[in-house]
Amino acid sequence: MKRGGYWRGVWTEFRKNRLALGGLAVIAALIALALSASLVANNRPYIYVAPDGGGVYFPLFYDHPELRGLDLRKDEFRGFKVFPPIPFSYSEYNLDEILVGPSLRHIMGTDEQGRDLAARMVHGTRVSLLVGFIAVAIYISIGIVIGALAGYYGGWVDMLISRLIEMVMCFPTFFLILTILALWGPSMVSVMVVIGITGWPGIARIVRGEFLKLREMDFVTATRALGSRDWRIILRHMLPNAMAPVLVSASFGVASTILIESSLSFLGLGVQPPTPSWGQILSNSSQYIDFAWWMTVIPGFAIFLTITSYNLIGEGFQEAIDPKSRK
Amino acid sequence: MTRYILQRIFLMALTFFVITGITYVIIRKAPGDFTSMKAGLQGELTRGALGKQFLEAERRLYGLDKEWYIGYGEWLWKFVRLDLGTSREDGRPVATRIAEALPITLLLNVITLLVTYIISIPMGVYASMKKNTLYDRVSSLVLFILYSLPHFWIALLLLMFFSSSEYLNLFPLDGIMSDWAEEYGFFGKIADVAWHLVLPVVTLTYGSFAFLSRYARANMLEVISQQYITTARAKGLSEKRVIFVHAFRNSLVPLVTLMATLLPALLGGSVIVEKIFSIPGLGRLAYDSIFSRDIPVIMAITSISALLTLAGIFIADLLYGLVDPRIRLEGTL
Repeated sequence: MKRGGYWRGVWTEFRKNRLALGGLAVIAALIALALSASLVANNRPYIYVAPDGGGVYFPLFYDHPELRGLDLRKDEFRGFKVFPPIPFSYSEYNLDEILVGPSLRHIMGTDEQGRDLAARMVHGTRVSLLVGFIAVAIYISIGIVIGALAGYYGGWVDMLISRLIEMVMCFPTFFLILTILALWGPSMVSVMVVIGITGWPGIARIVRGEFLKLREMDFVTATRALGSRDWRIILRHMLPNAMAPVLVSASFGVASTILIESSLSFLGLGVQPPTPSWGQILSNSSQYIDFAWWMTVIPGFAIFLTITSYNLIGEGFQEAIDPKSRK
Repeated sequence: MTRYILQRIFLMALTFFVITGITYVIIRKAPGDFTSMKAGLQGELTRGALGKQFLEAERRLYGLDKEWYIGYGEWLWKFVRLDLGTSREDGRPVATRIAEALPITLLLNVITLLVTYIISIPMGVYASMKKNTLYDRVSSLVLFILYSLPHFWIALLLLMFFSSSEYLNLFPLDGIMSDWAEEYGFFGKIADVAWHLVLPVVTLTYGSFAFLSRYARANMLEVISQQYITTARAKGLSEKRVIFVHAFRNSLVPLVTLMATLLPALLGGSVIVEKIFSIPGLGRLAYDSIFSRDIPVIMAITSISALLTLAGIFIADLLYGLVDPRIRLEGTL
C-alpha cells in the first residue's frame, strides 16, 4: 500500500456519512468566520470615497490619521462607502438602543449596553474555537507522551503510569477548575491551561492500549532489530499507527471543552470582558430572560451547533476507522 | 481477593491525599490574602491595632500562619477525627452546612438517576429490537442532539418559557420549596417540592438519555448475539419470552454497576443547575464557598465528593466481579 493509503481509505468512508460531512462544513465555516471576524463585523468601511474628489480611503485596513475618531456611518459623510455586513464593532455601546430585538439594523438585536449582538457573536466565535483547539492540543500532547511511555516500556513504568491515570480520573475536575479560576484569576489562558492539564488521562489510556498492541507486532520488532533508538520507534513507527483513535477522542474532546469553556464563562470565570464569548453573552442574558429572548436563544444555539458538529465529526470518524462501530 | 481489596484501599487513600492536597495547595498558594479580605469586608482593618490582632487570630484559626504542609497535616488530622472545622462565611460548623445541603443534592440526583433509567432503558431495549429501522435511526439522531444541548442553555430556556410572566407561568422560578410551604400537610409539602424539582430534573436528565439508552441498546445486542439466546429461540420460546426473560435481565448487569459511577459524577455536574435554579444544595454551596474563599467548606466538599467518587468506582468494580465471575479482579492489578 502506498503512503497515505490508510488515511485516504478513512476519508472515503467518512465521506459516506452525510451528517459528519455537514458537521465538518459547519466547523469550516466557523473557522472562516473566526479568522475574518474583524472583516465581517466592524464599524469602519472597507472603502470610503470622499465626495468631490476628496480622496479614496481604506479605513478598515489602514488607520488614516485624517479620519481618526470619525464615525463614517453617519449621513453627513456623503460619498461612496462599502461597510462590512455587520457595520458595528463588538465593543461599541449605544445607550439609545438597549435590548432592541432583531431588526434590519441589528440582525440579532442588541444587549443590555446597546452593543450589537451579531458583532459580539462573530467575535465570540474566536474564543470558543481557540479554547477548544488549544486546550485539547495541550492534553493530547501530554496524553500521548504519558500513554506512549506506559505502553512502550510496560513493566513497572506501565504500572506506575496506570495508577497515576486512575488517580487523575477520580479528580473532581470541574470543581478543581472552578477553584483554580476563582482563586487565581479567570482568563482565557488559564481556562485553556487548566482544561489542558486535567484532561489527559483519557488520551493516555487510549495511546497506552494501542502501544501495548503495537509493541508485539512484527514491524516493531523488525525496526528494533535494525537498531533504531526507542524514541525513533515510538515517534516514527508506532505513533502514526496509534493516531486514529486519538483523533476521534480529540474531536469529542473539543466538543466537551467548548461546553466547559462556555459553562465557565456563564459562571463569570471564563474570558473576561471586553472580549466577548458566547457563554458570557448567555450569562448576561439570564437577567433579561423575560423580555430579551434573542440574548438567550442565539448564543445558546451557536454553542449547541458547534458542539453537535464536533460530535458528529467524531462519530463519523469513529465509524470510518472502526468498521465494527458502524450501525 | 483480600490482597486485591487491601491494594485498592491503599490506592484509594493515596488518591484521596493527592486530591485534597492539591486542592489545599491551590487555595493556600493563590494570590491575595484571605484573612485581610474577610477583615476588610468587616471593616476590622480600619481599626488599627485591633485589626492587626484580629488578623493574626484569624490566620491562626485557619492555619494560615504555618507552612502549607503543616496546615494540610492539621486539616487532615482534624478530618480523620471527623472535625470539618467552622465555616468562615457564617461561623457555623461546616458539618452543619453540609448536612443542610447534601440531602437536597442527593434527592435531586437520585430522582434524576431514577428518571433517566426508567426512560432510557426501555428506549434502548426497544431500539435494539428495531435495529436498523427508521425508528432506530431517528431516535438515535434525536438522542444525539439532546446530548449536545448545553445544560445551562436548556435551563435558561425552560425558565424563559415555563416560569416567566411573558410565556407560560407553570413552574416556580427558583428554590426548592415555597415560602408558604409550612402551612401544607405532609403530602402537600412533597407535592410542593416535586413541583419545584420538575425543571431542574428535566435539565439534568435529558442529556443522559442518549448515553444510557445507547448503552442499553448495545448491551442488549451483545446479549442477543450470545449462544444461549439462540438456544432459547431454538427450543421454541416466543420472541417476547426470549427478549424479556432471557436477554433483558442479563443486559441489565452493566447498567446496574454503571449507577455506582454515575452518582458522584452527577454531584459535580449539578453546580450550574443548582446555581440557575437557586437550589440550596451542595453544588450551590461549593460555588458560593469558592467565591467567598471559605477554605474549610471548600476542603470539606472536595473531600466528600472525592470519597463518594472513589467509593462509587470501588463498588462498581466489586459488583462487576460479583455478577460476572468471568472477570477476575486479581488480574487487573
